[in-house]
Amino acid sequence: MPFRRKPLLDRTIAIYKKLIIEVIMDFGFSEEQELFRREIREFVRKNLSPDRYWGLLDEGETDEDWAFIMSISKKLAEKKWLTLSWPKEYGGLAVSHVQSMIFEQEVGYWGIPGTSMGISGTSWVGPSLMLFGTDEQKETFLPPIAAGDEDGVWCTGYSEPDSGSDLASLQTFAERVGDEYVINGQKVWTSCAHRARWMWLAARTNRDVKKKHHGISLFLVDMQSQGLKVNPLRNFVGQHFFNEVFFDDVKIPAKNLVGVENKGWSQLMTALSFERGLALGASGTMKRMLEELTEFAKESGSIRDPLVRARLADFFMEVEKLSLLGQESVWKAERGDIVIYEPSRDKANMDEILDELSRFGADMLGGYSLVHPMHKNSRWTRLKGMIEQAYYFVMGMAVAGGTTDTQRNIVANFGLKLPRS
Amino acid sequence: MDLALTKDQEMIQKSSREFFKKECPTDAVRDMRAKDQGYDKKLWKKMVKLGYSGLVFPEEYGGSDGDFVELALLMEEMGRALVPSPFFPTIQCALALLQFGSKEQKAKFLPGIAEKGTTWSIAHSERSGRLNTSDIEMMAVAEGDGFNLSGTKLFVPYAATAGRFLVTCLTKANEEAGNGENGITVFIVNPKADGVRIEGVPTVAQDGRCEVTFENVHVSEIDILGSLGKGADIIDTIIQQSAVLKAAEMYGGARAVLELTVNYTKERKQFDRPLASFQAVQHRLVNLMTEIDGLKYLVFKAAWGFAKNNPDRSINSAAKLKANAVHSAVCRQGMYLHGAIGWTEEMDIGLYHRQTRAMDFDGGSSDLHREVIACEMEKRTPLYKQVPA
Repeated sequence: MPFRRKPLLDRTIAIYKKLIIEVIMDFGFSEEQELFRREIREFVRKNLSPDRYWGLLDEGETDEDWAFIMSISKKLAEKKWLTLSWPKEYGGLAVSHVQSMIFEQEVGYWGIPGTSMGISGTSWVGPSLMLFGTDEQKETFLPPIAAGDEDGVWCTGYSEPDSGSDLASLQTFAERVGDEYVINGQKVWTSCAHRARWMWLAARTNRDVKKKHHGISLFLVDMQSQGLKVNPLRNFVGQHFFNEVFFDDVKIPAKNLVGVENKGWSQLMTALSFERGLALGASGTMKRMLEELTEFAKESGSIRDPLVRARLADFFMEVEKLSLLGQESVWKAERGDIVIYEPSRDKANMDEILDELSRFGADMLGGYSLVHPMHKNSRWTRLKGMIEQAYYFVMGMAVAGGTTDTQRNIVANFGLKLPRS
Repeated sequence: MDLALTKDQEMIQKSSREFFKKECPTDAVRDMRAKDQGYDKKLWKKMVKLGYSGLVFPEEYGGSDGDFVELALLMEEMGRALVPSPFFPTIQCALALLQFGSKEQKAKFLPGIAEKGTTWSIAHSERSGRLNTSDIEMMAVAEGDGFNLSGTKLFVPYAATAGRFLVTCLTKANEEAGNGENGITVFIVNPKADGVRIEGVPTVAQDGRCEVTFENVHVSEIDILGSLGKGADIIDTIIQQSAVLKAAEMYGGARAVLELTVNYTKERKQFDRPLASFQAVQHRLVNLMTEIDGLKYLVFKAAWGFAKNNPDRSINSAAKLKANAVHSAVCRQGMYLHGAIGWTEEMDIGLYHRQTRAMDFDGGSSDLHREVIACEMEKRTPLYKQVPA
């Protein structure tokens, strides 16, 4: 059928278009959303120094850093921004996915610290408890997260020495003894364990299963439990992000089991799917890096170099693309679609772009890129150290939460529906 | 933010996809490309009858008042179906007429495009083989009631059947009359005028490219588009708009090639298993899909900017820059993944790969668009240095 419209319909549409400026297929934001953006920027001006960039750094490097990060968490909690997307009954604002996205983008761009309550109280521990937790668990554990209290800081115990990408093979064992579970085993690469008050733990509760996924349960573990030991692991440039955690007959009350025993895997998958904001925050961070690098090029005069111009343009395109892909997931979630492979697609892409951008940035900085990222106050540091931070951090980020290639496997199976390899 | 299509947009997407599926299967594409003029006039007439050529014109010029997103969706479908047609150069010129033409010019030419399907082409690039306005050497010298044009234009698409050309020339200000400025001027030229010579260039895409030589071709002053010496802005606008439209077409083509390749690797078995079950193959496909998804949103964000009369130069250029990389990548990698059969003329993937260079050229090369983005980045005050109002 021809789609040429009847003149009357044409006129109706013309009038409609004049009346309603916001036609859909709309990449813009409402006035209310723009206002929220300005409010976040106001918060940044009031509470963060323009001389420090906290992005790409979850726990800071010193006790002073950590105290500052917690003070920001408190302030964010006062505005209920820490738990922006949580339902109101749990101390959230129940905002739309789009508004959460705006927050994530701004957090990335300005490097607002303390938004996650460890790894990660706000984005998966809380929402998972709302779905699978008992009333008592919700009453006990949700308020400290929403309030930005030290008691609401979490770490996540997933990876083990022999269980990385193949997470379901995990062996740390929780045995039910009377009213308690007794935990033995080891976790590793546990970010924030040295700051966290609680651990969101995945442990095996049944070894005698046909499919290894079926014998796993989730627990809430007090990090001050007897028999629990945290050993710092430093990354290859000496920064302390993650740890190993040992469990030697660690006893926890049986009521700290989350949901149903042995059903932990599907709960855990649900929890992972809450994490949609990664690409949004990262594209904010990279937008900032790119703007800083452009300013650096203007000041140094290298902006006149055609090669530098070309590369800046390429990165503009890449960062914009990543940001739009992140927005796609948000839009799908907003209209009620289940987002399955998109976050994996964007995580893999983000790893790659950040890797390239940080190397380009280091090239631009020349000798200044030699300065250690733990010495951000040094007088030789440029761009607040964010380039060096990214340059070394990306190696860890690409592995955390599922390696780049694991993400590609997920996209292959669920996005392109390719047969399993 | 709502990325859903409007009812109108959906209607165009659906109806044009069905139309091209029926009227332009790949066998027909092969036949059409083999024709001298590079397309099938009957199919073109049908497209005109459906209102494609006047899609974004106001009703008074025989159009249906569509928006730029609808136009991009149409281009996407043409890219998917490999439609050989003078649609793109015609629309390039028509959009320029709409924006820069006088009332008389619009009344004279636009209904012909919308209703009769008069085709237009743009004679801009010269011996440098680029679209950069600074490369223009062809001169137009004041003579009588207008100008005499002399020079050679290259790679003019579907020139042999065009009813009119837009031609870019260097001009000097008319000092006696005290108007105009030195620079580029865009002329509307009838290909049948004395002194115009057209010769076909044998291109891989078989897309009717020609060399057009102008020898003292006289053009009246009333056939200047815009004003004397102000043509650089017109060309810039044409490139910005056509970058987005071409990128939309490339997006459609890239998506189609990905689908072809995914289907082929799922069917083809080696070592007793489908090729698509090998991780090395999967990761290539996933990376391509990611880039194609990203291209889609760059294209439509750019098109949305035009639809809202608020185009963003960096986004427009980013869309074409990404399209240039992705369209070629999926054609090349798709061909590798097909194995030897992909290299044969019987497979459809080759029909797409035959267009990669033409697609890259039309609407602007990657270097041209990188420079646009770099200029915008240089001009912009970064957010973190902005003082709140």
